[in-house]
Amino acid sequence: MVTNHETAHMVDHEAEANDRVMFGFWVYLMTDLLMFAVLFAVYAVLHGKTLGGESGRELFSLPLALTGTLILLTSSFTCGIGMIAARGGKKNLTLLWFGVTFILGLAFLGLELYEFTELIHEGHTLRSNAFLSSFFVLVGTHGLHITSGLLWMAITLVYVIRRGLNSHLVRKLALLSLFWHFLDIVWIFIFTIVYLKAFV
Amino acid sequence: MSHPSRNTISKPSHEHGTMRSYVIGFVLSLVFTFIPYYLVVNRTISGNLLLATIIGIAVLQMIIQITFFLHLGRGPKPNWNLFFFIGTVGIILIVVGGSIMIINNLNYNMLPHDQTKKLTNDEGIYQIGGEKTGACQGQHDNHKVTIKNSQVSPLQTLASKCDTLTFINEDDEAREITFGTHPDHGSYAGEDELIVRKGRSKSITLSEAGSYQFHDHIKAEIAGFFTVTP
Amino acid sequence: MKELLLGKLDGNALPHEWFTIAGSISFILLVIITALIITRLKRWKWLWNDWLTSVDPKKIGIMYFFVSGFMLIRGGLDAIMLWLQQALSSGSSQGYLSADHYQQIFTAHGNIMVFFVAMGFIFGLINYIVPLQIGARDLASPFLNTLGFWLFVAGVVMVNMFFLFGGEYAATGWLAVAPLSGKEFSPGVGVDYWIWSLQISGIGTTLGAINFIMTILKMRAPGMTLWKMPMFTWGSLCSMIMAVTVFPLLTATLFLVFFDRYLGTHFFTTLGGGDPMMYTNLIWMWGHPEVYILMLPAFGVFSEVVSTFSRKAIASYTSNVLGMIGVSVLALSVWLHHFFTMGAGANVNAFFGVMTMIIAIPTSVLVFTWIATMYKGRIRFDTPMLWFLGFVVIFAIGGIAGVMLAVPPVDFQLHNSLFLVAHFHSMVIGGVLFGIFCAITYWFPKFTGLKLNERIGRYAFWCWMIGFCMSFIPMYILGMLGATRRLDHYDASTGWQPFFVLMLIGGIIIAIGVALQLAQILASFIQKNRLRDTTGDPWNGRTLEWATASPPQFYNFTVIPHITTRDAFWEKKHHKLPKPAYEDIHMPKNTAAGIYISIFAFLVGFGFVWEIIWLVAVSIIGIIVVFVVRGFNEHPEYTITAAEVQQLEETRARKDLAVSRPEKHDDTDEDMGLWQLIGIVFGFAKDVIRNKRWRKW
Repeated sequence: MVTNHETAHMVDHEAEANDRVMFGFWVYLMTDLLMFAVLFAVYAVLHGKTLGGESGRELFSLPLALTGTLILLTSSFTCGIGMIAARGGKKNLTLLWFGVTFILGLAFLGLELYEFTELIHEGHTLRSNAFLSSFFVLVGTHGLHITSGLLWMAITLVYVIRRGLNSHLVRKLALLSLFWHFLDIVWIFIFTIVYLKAFV
Repeated sequence: MSHPSRNTISKPSHEHGTMRSYVIGFVLSLVFTFIPYYLVVNRTISGNLLLATIIGIAVLQMIIQITFFLHLGRGPKPNWNLFFFIGTVGIILIVVGGSIMIINNLNYNMLPHDQTKKLTNDEGIYQIGGEKTGACQGQHDNHKVTIKNSQVSPLQTLASKCDTLTFINEDDEAREITFGTHPDHGSYAGEDELIVRKGRSKSITLSEAGSYQFHDHIKAEIAGFFTVTP
Repeated sequence: MKELLLGKLDGNALPHEWFTIAGSISFILLVIITALIITRLKRWKWLWNDWLTSVDPKKIGIMYFFVSGFMLIRGGLDAIMLWLQQALSSGSSQGYLSADHYQQIFTAHGNIMVFFVAMGFIFGLINYIVPLQIGARDLASPFLNTLGFWLFVAGVVMVNMFFLFGGEYAATGWLAVAPLSGKEFSPGVGVDYWIWSLQISGIGTTLGAINFIMTILKMRAPGMTLWKMPMFTWGSLCSMIMAVTVFPLLTATLFLVFFDRYLGTHFFTTLGGGDPMMYTNLIWMWGHPEVYILMLPAFGVFSEVVSTFSRKAIASYTSNVLGMIGVSVLALSVWLHHFFTMGAGANVNAFFGVMTMIIAIPTSVLVFTWIATMYKGRIRFDTPMLWFLGFVVIFAIGGIAGVMLAVPPVDFQLHNSLFLVAHFHSMVIGGVLFGIFCAITYWFPKFTGLKLNERIGRYAFWCWMIGFCMSFIPMYILGMLGATRRLDHYDASTGWQPFFVLMLIGGIIIAIGVALQLAQILASFIQKNRLRDTTGDPWNGRTLEWATASPPQFYNFTVIPHITTRDAFWEKKHHKLPKPAYEDIHMPKNTAAGIYISIFAFLVGFGFVWEIIWLVAVSIIGIIVVFVVRGFNEHPEYTITAAEVQQLEETRARKDLAVSRPEKHDDTDEDMGLWQLIGIVFGFAKDVIRNKRWRKW
């Protein structure tokens, strides 16, 4: 009886801790969203200040942006599937789906770097004018988040391989998937407000 | 996390989402990615309407992902996650909307060149600090441009300096007359846009000489010319 | 090669102006003396294990008080220096400071007082009191809490680096308005110190705030619904929710300034299409709510104190709470009143002016609930109550001045004048600082097990009150006469000098008040037998923190209480409840991860200030490594069994019983007065010198 009671106590304690951590991380994501809000506000105010330089319509490529969007969206989906596998305790499936997510994330990052290097080669740097400053910082901040997400994913997966899918690591993966879906949502707005709007 | 018994109070599993919810979310997101892309590339609609549509679709897609990927709104009550999300959206509206409003209103009292020009015209201020402002004095000829059935007549107006030009809108929708060619939103003599409501008219004083174009900012094909001789 | 290794750093950076050298030497001496004492007493291990690496919110709270108290003295010295310059520098006399020094000092004064004094004290209070009030053993994430504290300390060190290490401080005003803060107009490292000091401590604040929100929303004792929470917890909740909404705006804005300075972007520059007014807009979006973040917990403190010392439940709990919520919601939509004069049109100015005036409504609701609580209460005028009454007077004056400033046409006249400076000092000193003093006197028995000396406390209060009026009422008048803020020299014909001299005298009286507060604490420890609180409930309190011992056990509550009403403890005192059985307690282990991360974060900032890129890279990798090691540690907790809890409780009870035995002392009849304290201190010093006692140490 006593041991039974104690295990129940421990499980409760852990479930409560899980609930708290998920909630706390959610609040953190909201603060991150507000940081993006500032960058969006700055972009909204400064995107016309090209000082006679080329505007987004001349610089951006819509097919490239669409490809990036689709890659990121798919990675968000595979991440969700991976999470289902993780909650089901299927280690190999988890590794597979999160592996796919990782590769897609890497592809997205590569695409973004390609776009940036092209722009910089043509002489459009973040020093050129206020429009390009706000563009590079907004999109670059998202890219930095993707990078840190990838780093986090890689480390967590290494731990999953070494320790197996314990509750602690499932929680880490759950937080990570929250972060990843959140980055996809931010990207929807970057795609719309930065890329699509330039062609309106 | 397999809970065969449904009566457990803690953590019902539907909180985490199923394969089905992810597939639905994914397909809907794909659809709502392609629609705005198609709209922008094919320019089926244009201007502010298009902008409003794509932003609306982005919001819709956000709601879809939040429901199907993040499963917000499910789980035990009180739902603090939802509370914080709605609060954050409110703050974002304040931050972005407030910034745009404030920065657009920034120079209201600063009177840059354009606005000084408009003010001197409107008030007929002939000179400031001993310098001629170019504002017109006295009565001069009046020219009329009528917009009816999305047609401008006459297409070309010839006037001399300090005449007035009146836009008459006989259509059933408001016109936003601006200067230059679309999509430029240029200005003439300090005026950058004249909103002419249906059945109304608005006038400007032709205080600057030269040849100019005007057009409706909403429907760019409504356009015309005027030439002002010194 | 040298640039690669050391960046912009060279010998010229070392302190070389008299005020930085003085600061540097005095600080180094202080550190050496402290280190010697600790070594002498063999306390390094104890310091590290029991305090620095502790995750106990009570200990972290006390550490916040130490750091902020130290910074209060540091920022206060700045204030005296500014007043002295203004009193001297009239007509042909240029005072003793150059314009550049003067600017650095008022910038540092503003930053230190807002970020490292007010914020620090408020966070300390919330750390200590909130878990006790809601019946929790710990915070939701003990690690985030220690991390937040140590990032705050890193910010404190960074803001003082200009004299500890070298360089200069920002000469831009406490918010570093653009484009003055850009590379073009401020090429030195001052603005960089400013950026990183605020950035690091600001991130700490965000993390801390997330933690308190988790704690308050998810860890309340069973039965305590939101509408049964104590008022201080309500104030803290509102404040922390505001902190997570606006601190990210500060973080983002500071990063943009940083990019402007380091990467040559054009956000707030005058060239390249940047918009300096966008900076003002963004920084005030954070800056205005910031003062309410400080104010709301203070409102909570006053609600608790008024109710306890009137021996009545707060009048209309609901209006009180709704008042706090109203303040926090409205505070987010008034920021433009800081720049009415930027040239916006009448509609925009009128909107923000009206919103600003509307904020006075929920604030007045709060004041009225306090007055209604006092009405027909049996009021005791202990020092916490005195601080409250002082607050009401000063806050009313400041509030009325605020409503005046909220009228745009009036603001066009008073903007940037000393009237404004007087207004916000009335709010921040009268409101926040008096709230903090009120809270510290009120909860001091909980912190230390000793009540504070009442007599010297009263002297200190009156010094603050009189000093405040002498220094800030002339400031209102000067503002009306047209004196601008940040004035380091004025013409003799203005006739302002007598006012400035009066302000300096007021400042000195406030400084005496601070000295008396320190004396008060010293006197209380000397008379500890008389002032000891063994009941845990010295004021006949109403809320749950008084149900614990003074100071509480490290696990706060032996058994988590079940709450049925507001004023839970009051209810419990009057209905004897059966004692429930002990249970196992889970507590977090101590961790030094927060310290390591903060050191690395500090080095990132330091590397950026002096452009030492390898240091930045190494430190970022360091942060990631510590995060990974800590994040994948699966056993951050330990368990105290029920039997151990019982043993701890019994030991504690024996100890309390032992000290509560009345001992006959000469000084037990009343609180020690000032002369008696001075006598004791001199007697002690004489004894040390005459008997050569230092040999024994």
